[in-house]
Amino acid sequence: MSNAKTVRRSWWSRTGTISWREFKHTALTKAFFFGAVVVPMLFLGVGFLVPFMIDKNAPPIKGTVAVLDPTGKIAAAAQHIIDTEGDTGLFGDMPAETQEKIDTAVASQGGGASAMLAAADTRSEIDLTWEIYAQEGVDGAPSIDALKDELKSGNLVALILVNPNGADAKATAPNEAGLSIFVPTSSSPKHQRLIGRAFETALQDARVQSLGITDADFDRVRQRPQAETFRISPTGGEAEEINGARMLIPAGFMFLMWICVFTSANQLLTSTIEEKSNKVMEVLLAAASPMQLLAGKILGQALVSVIMLVMYGGAAIAGLTAASMNDLITTSDLILFALYFIMAYFMIATLMVAVGSAVSDLREAQSLVGPVMILLIIPIMLWLPISESPNGMLATIASFVPPGMPFIMILRVTAANEPVPMWQIIASLVWGYGAMFGMLWLGARIFRVGVLMQGKPPTPKELLKWAFVR
Amino acid sequence: MSLAIQLENISKRFGSVQAVDEVSLELPEGSLCGFLGPNGAGKSTTIRMLMSIISPDSGVLRVLGGSALDNKDRIGYLPEERGLYRKMKVGEFLWYIAKLKGVHPTGLTQRINDWLDRVQLPGVAKKRCEELSKGMQQKVQLLSALIHRPDLLILDEPYSGLDPLNSRLITELIRDEQRRGATIIFSTHQMHTAEALCDRVLLINKGKKVLDANLSQLRAQHDGRGIVVEPAGDPQAYADAALAAGFAARAESTHKGLVEIELRDGIGGNEALNAALAAGACRAVSLRRLSLEDVFVQLVGGSRADLHADGGAADV
Repeated sequence: MSNAKTVRRSWWSRTGTISWREFKHTALTKAFFFGAVVVPMLFLGVGFLVPFMIDKNAPPIKGTVAVLDPTGKIAAAAQHIIDTEGDTGLFGDMPAETQEKIDTAVASQGGGASAMLAAADTRSEIDLTWEIYAQEGVDGAPSIDALKDELKSGNLVALILVNPNGADAKATAPNEAGLSIFVPTSSSPKHQRLIGRAFETALQDARVQSLGITDADFDRVRQRPQAETFRISPTGGEAEEINGARMLIPAGFMFLMWICVFTSANQLLTSTIEEKSNKVMEVLLAAASPMQLLAGKILGQALVSVIMLVMYGGAAIAGLTAASMNDLITTSDLILFALYFIMAYFMIATLMVAVGSAVSDLREAQSLVGPVMILLIIPIMLWLPISESPNGMLATIASFVPPGMPFIMILRVTAANEPVPMWQIIASLVWGYGAMFGMLWLGARIFRVGVLMQGKPPTPKELLKWAFVR
Repeated sequence: MSLAIQLENISKRFGSVQAVDEVSLELPEGSLCGFLGPNGAGKSTTIRMLMSIISPDSGVLRVLGGSALDNKDRIGYLPEERGLYRKMKVGEFLWYIAKLKGVHPTGLTQRINDWLDRVQLPGVAKKRCEELSKGMQQKVQLLSALIHRPDLLILDEPYSGLDPLNSRLITELIRDEQRRGATIIFSTHQMHTAEALCDRVLLINKGKKVLDANLSQLRAQHDGRGIVVEPAGDPQAYADAALAAGFAARAESTHKGLVEIELRDGIGGNEALNAALAAGACRAVSLRRLSLEDVFVQLVGGSRADLHADGGAADV
């Protein structure tokens, strides 16, 4: 009887229509574009550009440095250091071997990473004239006050007064200042560091020599020896302890999962509340079953989540590749990440959509979302202890408690040099996916009743009751 | 003729409230049925069960020969609670609903524009829903129930919030849909609209069906034996004359200058008209017919004020 030209559709066709609307009205909007794409890109861009900007703005150091050096050793040595090393010391107290690695990386890497490293290795233009005096007022040397006046009038860029006993290690206390540096108020901190480090190094070398130790011997003992740490598991496995860079990988995986899951889950919460408060829900339920609506919404936002994941994850992998650190991520890490991401998304999405269906506005949602959020902040709170001890009791127990378990498990599997036992991974996947389907069932039952309810928000007890009514 | 809707003793309870109690109904295809009842009578609950949005606790329910879930694409539904996506454009919203209802995308944009023209909303397809007035939004929502040319149209309070011109427009649309062959069931508080439109009325009160009849049967059953006279002179004097003439068992003048007369037993229609003209000079004489509103008040037992209550307690 119907005159409408309709097409015969499967359950999934209607669900797909709902999914596409959900995706389109989240991902293909200006708000999403700015929030999820432009802002992170801006941060990345700023991070990328800052070194270049610093390089351009690095001020040259030009002028006269006056030194009153009664020891006769320090000024010449400092001048030599500045003339030969420039301001490479601005990398701070970086060990020489690290500096060497950076230089090698700058020379060997292509692309943005090398550009950043090269840009960070800024070297100021140095054009200094030295006035070195042994003692004030002797042999035509000006007085200290006269030199300070020169400094004030801008004729000097720095005045250095070396302690007469500064070069003698036995005549000075270890923490006694061996010299004083005077600079004008307009002096750049970078220039102060340049001059200060050169004179400190020269003073240190002079003190070492005063003890009868050669520079080479001193260098041998100056570096603190580093211990190599190994872990021996009860099963006899032996693995080198992870280093600092490696510690960031599990955190990266977990935060990536957290951000992608929560952005979409939060959208689900707000869009469900919007549909309910705008009274669109009943119109939708006249066209689709609650299950189709629920599935459509969750799958639509899943697509949003996956897009964010690909975008951010891709950028992270590209960054690691540019820095030649992509070996820190293995294929099995990526496969497990995908499996735990699916688990995490559907668990959290179901929770959020169930809560959204049960309330009338965001304020009401807070009281129901609060306990869920506490559960989900636990992985973030436990990040460090779990990364340090990925096979410890805390980590093992936490990795079996939904809904935070996928976050904990991805921390563990990517953090442990000593692998997580395979049985634990399999058990967590079986138990986790079981819990996920259980939560989907429970969330669907609550959604089915909640979307038609108006009035005061339900108590957790009422929510459970909804789940089991006919 | 096959049945569009078949309800057999359906019941629904929410906690301690019996929202619908053993309601039965058989509505043939092509009918136009008014669904009447005071606020909280159970109309919206019955409609939601018809739409399979909620399930009855007991009873049998068939819509278009099966479950409403299986026939969603053949049903158009305007819920009592109006709702649109505020930020969505009108054309996009109608497209979305049409797609959900299984309308093929080919020619859909043109169909949407044609419908918008028809309800005097030309050019609003590109506007966001939030930019429309309440009446315009209501017409858009009605279109979302009609866009797929349904076989069964369920309208919950379609006239609520509309001005007389738009009410007339909606009435024309409903009549057109019936002429097209659609079965229509609509709930309303506007008795005169139901009286003018429907060929069948269903009245429920406190969850129970209290009336299910064709309008003609209803009139035959409930019409009082009376006439209404507009006398040329003083109404009270005419009322006294009518009583004195012996054909009136009771005669009362009204504030509108009319005289309502209840005939004595055994007095027929023609005899009454002749007697009325003989009793005094008249501008008009007509047989008094019981209005649907009178029937409603009589059966529901409430005050007439209930009929005009707007948006009091929500229907369960």
